[in-house]
Amino acid sequence: MRLDLLIPGLSAKTDHFLFGICTLVLLRDGRRNILFDAGAYRVRGALIAALQSHGLAPDDIDVVYMSHLHWDHVENVDLFRNADIYVSRKEYEYTASIAPGDWGTPPFVREILDGLRLVLLDEREEEIFPGARTIWLPGHSIGLQGLVVDSEHGKAVLAADALWSARDAVRGKPDLAFFDFDQGLASLNKLLAAGTIFYPGHDRPFRLDDGRVTYLAQNTYRLRVAFQPDGDDLECAFSTQAGA
Amino acid sequence: MSGEITLLFTGCPASADGFWVGASTVALCRAEGRTILFDTGPYAYRPLLLGRLKRLGLTPADIDTVVLSHLHWDTATNADLFRNAEIVVHARELAYAEKPAAHDWATPPYMARALRKLRLNPVAAECDIVPGVRLVELPGHTPGSIGLLAGRELLAGGAVASARDAARGHAEVWFSDGVQADASLAKALSVADIIHAGHDRSFRAGPPVAYLGDYALRIRLFFDPVGMDQEICIRAEQARSFATWPEG
Repeated sequence: MRLDLLIPGLSAKTDHFLFGICTLVLLRDGRRNILFDAGAYRVRGALIAALQSHGLAPDDIDVVYMSHLHWDHVENVDLFRNADIYVSRKEYEYTASIAPGDWGTPPFVREILDGLRLVLLDEREEEIFPGARTIWLPGHSIGLQGLVVDSEHGKAVLAADALWSARDAVRGKPDLAFFDFDQGLASLNKLLAAGTIFYPGHDRPFRLDDGRVTYLAQNTYRLRVAFQPDGDDLECAFSTQAGA
Repeated sequence: MSGEITLLFTGCPASADGFWVGASTVALCRAEGRTILFDTGPYAYRPLLLGRLKRLGLTPADIDTVVLSHLHWDTATNADLFRNAEIVVHARELAYAEKPAAHDWATPPYMARALRKLRLNPVAAECDIVPGVRLVELPGHTPGSIGLLAGRELLAGGAVASARDAARGHAEVWFSDGVQADASLAKALSVADIIHAGHDRSFRAGPPVAYLGDYALRIRLFFDPVGMDQEICIRAEQARSFATWPEG
């Protein structure tokens, strides 16, 4: 299975808004184009551009594999009109009555999914694509599903927010077990044992050797602010390299 | 008697490589016993929005009216939080959002579908919400952009995105009609002395435009798996003397 990183997750936060920039991956088995997660609305343009850089348009995506139905993973799923949308049945059913206090799942998620071709997946681990197995990782959300992919560099675990960042792997405990901590802890241990390369929900992909993190991608973000009505913009950049 | 305006989020005219920032202004307008929320921000505001309302002693249930300046991803996405509120939107904007233009990347195709589940009050003309608090039509940025005028203070939404647009007399970003957008910008600056811009700090309309406050953005980086957090702070402040900063 060919695996390409479209957008790396960003482990940063502001005091004005959440970034919600999660890891988006393109999988190709030679027959189908599979997108792992759809991302937050703010990366809609970046996602289309990233697909384009691989010679693809949204209409070319055959499957969108949704890890879970939080806002920052689902807001662009409507772009993929030709795709089968693989959603965990448990996640989908949960959206009929979202727990009070769960602000992560949009109450209008069914309106986002409306008109799309949904394929609801039961809690069964299986080879769902040639060279890719489903792995159930609840805790961050009620029915989070990841993928374990046989990639050219070894077994890659697409963990989404069951592994929020590399810190979870180093500390051995989830920082953001949004739904159930004990389940989240069990899922973290399970996913760490399932491969050697990890794609966290909101961090760069990394290899783990005896607890040591080696990042496989870095990114630089540029921000421009028009603070001066008559003057120049302020520009600043920050790189993920800082902590590598 | 006109309304009392409190900003919950001060917009910021920021852009970035790789993602849309969407730092919109969200405000409360309290008048005649009514609690009106002007815009709701992007989904990325949701937990902060709930926290900021709480700090003012409010829950979403206390909001009786939500005015949506327009139906972009970064202004209208949290309207569903306000189950007791009537959601005021321009009828033309709602009709447009049912089928946004192909080039329009800012109106989520599911926005109208999601809003239809709420208690909508589509308006087709300028009107008073309460005496002294008036809905003003400001089309151009989008087909049905509106603002909320309280006395001589205007919550402008997308029609006045920034102080720079006001200073130049030209709306740089528009999705519907650029000529109309410039006319609406001029109208906004003529009906109000104080503008609460859609993506900027509040300012006196002037000329010259003059900001009423400062702005700071903290970005916390959780980049090192075994090390420390790092933080960047970007600020814009009133001009001070080089010689006397920092004081003390």
